[in-house]
Amino acid sequence: MDNNETLLSVKDLSTYFFTEKNVIKAVQNVSFSMEKGRTFALVGESGCGKSVTALSIMRLVSEPQGKIVSGEIIFQGNNLLTLSEKRMRKVRGNEIAMIFQEPMTSLNPVYTVGNQIAEAITLHQKKGISEAWADAVEMLKKVGISDPQQRAREYPHQMSGGMQQRVMIAMAISCQPGLLIADEPTTALDVTLQAQILDLLDELQKQTGMSILLITHDLGIVAQRAEDVAVMYASRIVEVADTQRLFKEPLHPYTQGLLKSLLRLGFEGKRLHTISGNVPDPLHFPTGCKFHPRCQTGCNDKKCQSAEPKLREVQPGRSVACWYAKGYPQ
Amino acid sequence: MSKQSQEKSKWGTSYGELVWREFSKSWLARFCLGFIFFLFAVAVFAPFLANDKPFAIRIDEQLHFPIFRNLKVSDYCIFLAAIFGYLQVLLIRRNHKRVDPSIRPAILWRQICINSSIVVIGTILILIFVPRRLDATDYKALIASGKATNAVFAPIPYGYDRTNLKLREQPPSRQHWLGTDDVGADVLCRLLHGSRISLSVGFVAVGISAVIGVIAGAILGYFGGKVDFIGMRVVEIMMAIPVFFLIITIVAFFPRSLLNIMIIIGITSWTSYARFIRAEFFKLRKQDFVQAAISLGLPLRSILFRHMLPNGIAPVLVNVTFGIAGAIFIEAALSFLGFGVAPPTPSWGQMLSLGVSTTGRFLWWLSLFPGLAIFLTVLAYNLVGESLRDAIDPKLRIQ
Repeated sequence: MDNNETLLSVKDLSTYFFTEKNVIKAVQNVSFSMEKGRTFALVGESGCGKSVTALSIMRLVSEPQGKIVSGEIIFQGNNLLTLSEKRMRKVRGNEIAMIFQEPMTSLNPVYTVGNQIAEAITLHQKKGISEAWADAVEMLKKVGISDPQQRAREYPHQMSGGMQQRVMIAMAISCQPGLLIADEPTTALDVTLQAQILDLLDELQKQTGMSILLITHDLGIVAQRAEDVAVMYASRIVEVADTQRLFKEPLHPYTQGLLKSLLRLGFEGKRLHTISGNVPDPLHFPTGCKFHPRCQTGCNDKKCQSAEPKLREVQPGRSVACWYAKGYPQ
Repeated sequence: MSKQSQEKSKWGTSYGELVWREFSKSWLARFCLGFIFFLFAVAVFAPFLANDKPFAIRIDEQLHFPIFRNLKVSDYCIFLAAIFGYLQVLLIRRNHKRVDPSIRPAILWRQICINSSIVVIGTILILIFVPRRLDATDYKALIASGKATNAVFAPIPYGYDRTNLKLREQPPSRQHWLGTDDVGADVLCRLLHGSRISLSVGFVAVGISAVIGVIAGAILGYFGGKVDFIGMRVVEIMMAIPVFFLIITIVAFFPRSLLNIMIIIGITSWTSYARFIRAEFFKLRKQDFVQAAISLGLPLRSILFRHMLPNGIAPVLVNVTFGIAGAIFIEAALSFLGFGVAPPTPSWGQMLSLGVSTTGRFLWWLSLFPGLAIFLTVLAYNLVGESLRDAIDPKLRIQ
């Protein structure tokens, strides 16, 4: 398989939230691109802007406070940011679908799950209700729900969390989208279910050839499931690479710190590494490189404190944003 | 019974069923709901309960059915609407037990469409074909003079617009169970016919205000920002005006008709519904399932009214019951003050105002019985509202 066709490319995306007094820069100059049929992981800690990036792609940032202030999101040749709301509605669900963190609250409590899946199908594929219902049952079967005929007639509160997340996935893939955005799909589930859900996503990806944008804070999931990774820190992407190279040789000091603080097999006795300090307050980002107050590389100097490094390509297919990273153009 | 419960577990319990189960646990709630249904039945069948025309009478060896000949166009329309309304309630119950959830919304939609179109077409046909007759024959005089025999009368054999000046202001007796009013009409008969006014005012006025309020509140709550800011100022201006005096002022400019009163009450009391729905929608807008619905590309109409409204309607439903009680009360007050429907159309408030006669006598039966009717109806609606509020309690939602 060698179709390195770009499905989605995000260029210079900035999303800000405007409160009465302040501007919260949730996403700043984020750029990355995704290829067809691959899984791209967006990693970062809470509040670093991964979810807002995902919502920006769907154009779901809640207005009027949130606003995409600049950038382009090119999906299959169209800039999503310039589409009319009506066209955008056809993209949502049909071409880009999303699954959310909390399966318990992501399903409407007043309708049966079959009904909720069928609604999207009738809308996007112009099918009659009975046909759409049959499709919905088929989808439930596909996501591994036993007795789908019966389960489609049940309400969300009658299901377990894992099953609800399966239903969410069924709903998202019901119209065969080209891109599935999974916003921390397993955070609310326990570990055994996490593996099942991720396996399911893998399998569905093989069947349908869709791309997955996996948003997570769990590096373990990234190592297993993603082919490409972007690491986000304080509303910017600091490093983009394919998974293997990133884990073998992290270039950005933040990524290095993250990988060092992972619990590894054979690790005994010693204290686990931590990145000292706290995530900066989005209202008062440090000047220069946002990571410099916490940077432990020792090359922390005036340049780091005054000028913010841009994301630059240092090797083919690898970019980093650090003045002192190996190969960073000076 | 076992089969029924099997069916229930087979298809799951919907939110509506959970609320109904909780609601019907209280005997008071069931009793009050029953009382309201009883009132509706009385209102619908008022012409058969109290009428000065007999069901059947033999005049010159020929059988006549004057009561049916004398039904008004409005009576036919009410029967039609009541029959199909009741049919719809039965169908909804049947849907929940028998119809597969996969096609339930489609079936329900089809039933509502068919039923309401039958009612509309039927009403038009009635308006065209039913002649407006006026039968001035005094059947009681015919019987008294021996020309007619074998008459079968309604339980209360008086018309609400029949005056009998010889029997003015009579206290309750065996002929007139609740006495007579200032023109000698039977109070019980007028009370029964008056229930139509009260119930229809309650329903139509609250229907109008709930529809306006829900749509306005949904838009304010969903869009927020500037829309909300401007909209809420309008709502606040509306709320700053004392509604009752506004209504009196408006009524003074328009002819005294029931429809006008309903519309005026409706368009002046939507603000509370708008505020409830707005608050609920603010909360719901950020919820994951609404975001999920948007992310599926569903149209705004579906998101607002299919996904958000059923989850935020509960406080409005509760308030509707209080609103109906309030509207009945406003109508009674308007009629009491003489701004309501014009006589001889009976209205409870207007009857109440006759309690003090022009001669200065206090006619207790004219104050007590209509007052009791207003009191009981308003009380029943309020108690139903209370029970509904308890049944919708958030504790129930976590299941």
